Amino acid sequence: MEGIKQNPIVKKLGFNRIILFCILVLLYVAFSIAIPGFAGMARIMSILNYVYFLGFLALGVTFVIATGGIDFSIGPVMFCCALMAGYSLNTFNVPVAAALLLSIVIGFCFGVFNGWLVSFVGVPPFIVSMASMNIAKGLGSVFTKTQSVSWPQANDPDGRGWFRNLVKVGNIPTGLIIFAIFVIVLYILMNNTKPGRYILCLGSNKEAVRLSGVNVRKWQMLAYVICGTLVGIAAIFFVGAYTTVQPGLGDTYNNEAIASCVMGGTSMAGGLASIGGTVIGVFVISLLQEGIMALRMTKEVQMIITGLIVIVFVYADVSARRRKN
Amino acid sequence: MGEVILTMKGIDKSFPGVHALDHVDLELRRGEVLALMGENGAGKSTLMKVLTGIYTKDSGTITFEGKDVEFHNTHEAQEAGIVIVHQELNMVGDLTVAQNIFIGREFKKGIMIDDKKMIAESRKLFDELHIDIDPKAKMSDLTVGKQQMCEIAKAISHKAKVIIFDEPSAALTEKEIEDLFVIIRDLRAQNLGIIYISHRMDEIKVITDRVTVMRDGTYVGTLVTNECTKEDIINMMVGRVIYEDPKTHSAVPDDAPVVLKVEHLNAGKMVQDVSFELRKGEILGFSGLMGAGRTETARALFGADPKTGGDIYINGQKVTINSPEDAVKHGIGYLSEDRKRYGIVVQKTITENSTMATLEKYTRGLFINKAEEKKVAEQYIKELATKTPSADELVVNLSGGNQQKVVIAKWLVRNCDILIFDEPTRGIDVGAKNEIYKLMNRLAAEGKSIIMISSEMTEILRMSDRIVVMCEGKKTGEIRIEEATQEAIMDKATRDIN
Repeated sequence: MEGIKQNPIVKKLGFNRIILFCILVLLYVAFSIAIPGFAGMARIMSILNYVYFLGFLALGVTFVIATGGIDFSIGPVMFCCALMAGYSLNTFNVPVAAALLLSIVIGFCFGVFNGWLVSFVGVPPFIVSMASMNIAKGLGSVFTKTQSVSWPQANDPDGRGWFRNLVKVGNIPTGLIIFAIFVIVLYILMNNTKPGRYILCLGSNKEAVRLSGVNVRKWQMLAYVICGTLVGIAAIFFVGAYTTVQPGLGDTYNNEAIASCVMGGTSMAGGLASIGGTVIGVFVISLLQEGIMALRMTKEVQMIITGLIVIVFVYADVSARRRKN
Repeated sequence: MGEVILTMKGIDKSFPGVHALDHVDLELRRGEVLALMGENGAGKSTLMKVLTGIYTKDSGTITFEGKDVEFHNTHEAQEAGIVIVHQELNMVGDLTVAQNIFIGREFKKGIMIDDKKMIAESRKLFDELHIDIDPKAKMSDLTVGKQQMCEIAKAISHKAKVIIFDEPSAALTEKEIEDLFVIIRDLRAQNLGIIYISHRMDEIKVITDRVTVMRDGTYVGTLVTNECTKEDIINMMVGRVIYEDPKTHSAVPDDAPVVLKVEHLNAGKMVQDVSFELRKGEILGFSGLMGAGRTETARALFGADPKTGGDIYINGQKVTINSPEDAVKHGIGYLSEDRKRYGIVVQKTITENSTMATLEKYTRGLFINKAEEKKVAEQYIKELATKTPSADELVVNLSGGNQQKVVIAKWLVRNCDILIFDEPTRGIDVGAKNEIYKLMNRLAAEGKSIIMISSEMTEILRMSDRIVVMCEGKKTGEIRIEEATQEAIMDKATRDIN
């Protein structure tokens, strides 16, 4: 076992990530055997729909967790973005492009708000994100007068459904291409740039980084801003795939996104983050979601499973650290 | 010295990849203080952890009061009468002294805790030890020295027969160490066996009867303290002779330019109206007792803590320093006394730590030039003789001395002209300590100016060109090395303010 772990290729890819990828494949095979007709393009396209929005959420929260923080507002903020942008689209007739931009801007603003409170005011991230979660839910409801919002369909005669091409064109999963580009960019941002370096280091020991003459508040806030912006993008992919958004919801996606991160090897203690791991984690959660639906079980069953996943993987991380020390 | 109370024979312990203890022997008698010495990583702590049941030994025997024993946890060891007083104190700051001493075995009156009895019992203990501490005081209000005495009292209250002191003096002032020694002598007179772990040679000579030396997980030998010299012990520890002469005269010419001038610096109670000058190529020692405000002065100067007043001039120019960012911009680097908390990011690599303060130099646009970054890290690994397999090694895997070198590298990469070394050799073994000293001398010779805060008198006398002495937040004196004596420094460090 130790020998395999020391292999340079395994080391580069990460032993845990390889294992997680194997779990993903096995899980897919298991579902395909257990459920007649599960294998095939239709299911895969459906899984991908889930992967996109959950992926952007999880990638965003990866940056926050890397700083040692946490964000429980991502799901509701995503819904808030989708609701406010969609409502503007339907009621005020703003152009589709402007609505999409609005979604990203709202996410960005939440990121700035959370990041500023955590970094500059010094409110604990747990409290900040709990509060923002409720603000996002409330704001979405108030803005839409507590009515669900439907985004235009692909075949609407006015052509306002064009944004669905971001998700797929015919049977081509364009969303996957966009998602892949973001994954690469975010991977580089995390591992090869100054912001990523500072985010990871301050997550590990903020005071040491500050005493090296680095403006840690700025970089810590940036993590939340990156997260918020990605949440705004997640909203676009959510409505691109699922059309209708209801006010007052979205919290279940918090756990799913956080579960994806911790499964992929991002440490809740901060300082360690894996973009690649998060992506595999997102695929595992999305596959689970699809499989559980196909087994005619409810969303609640999935909530139990993701809850347990978070506990198991956080425990594994904590005990691994303890062993190291 | 009485009969043998504790014998450890052929103790062997391996961890994955490390043979931590290789058939180590140790013998302790009643009424003696046995020094346990060795460089960091020699296996002293591991041996003591085996003794007190934190680790299970692979082989070997432990005989305590004539019986073979094996403890499975510290509680069992405590019950038997073997207690360890840790370097890091295990006290609950918000509880009182008495509550801490009897924590986990509180006296009860019905279901209520009987605080009165605990206070009375604590007072009895303190009287026995001739310690003057109020059992009703809140633990966090006491100095580190007093807290340690509470820890000793707690050990005594367990009816200890063997007490292990793990680097007890590391955080103590000279005066507190003297008090500690009085207590240790008292315990020795009561026929207890005492194991004393320390890096400080002078203390070993003063307080111990015999010295057991370990090196690289093996037993090297045992000497009778007053029949051997410091050099004998050190040679057994490291196998090399080290130089330990005090500096006799300043290496700085009188007309050397003033690079840093601090005027009327104020920051709370701990820094009151501190002024001093630092010249090019000078090592300015900051001496004083614990709590004298030296670290606080350095932190205020560096912008790590807010200051309430004062002017700072660098090369004659008045500068504003409100954050470490400002300080670093003006060419000041700060090596904290607490490396792990304030100096390094232990979970990151040597390379990442080395360029922490200079990252913009190794970035093109947003991107880090990792090859160039690694090159400079490797250059300083070589230059500082940092012991590591590669620049990609995580800092957590390095020894204390090598971690310190990584922090120094961080500021050298930045090319800081003014370096603040706060307790640069704390927790570092003798060999690495010498290397740090040589390095500081070399930096000064190259024209860097160094402020060195140190609680070790020998270090102050050996390294400084000039010495600033502080006491209770105020600067109480400035002594040229030519006139400096321990007595003169101590006198100013303890000067009566009234």
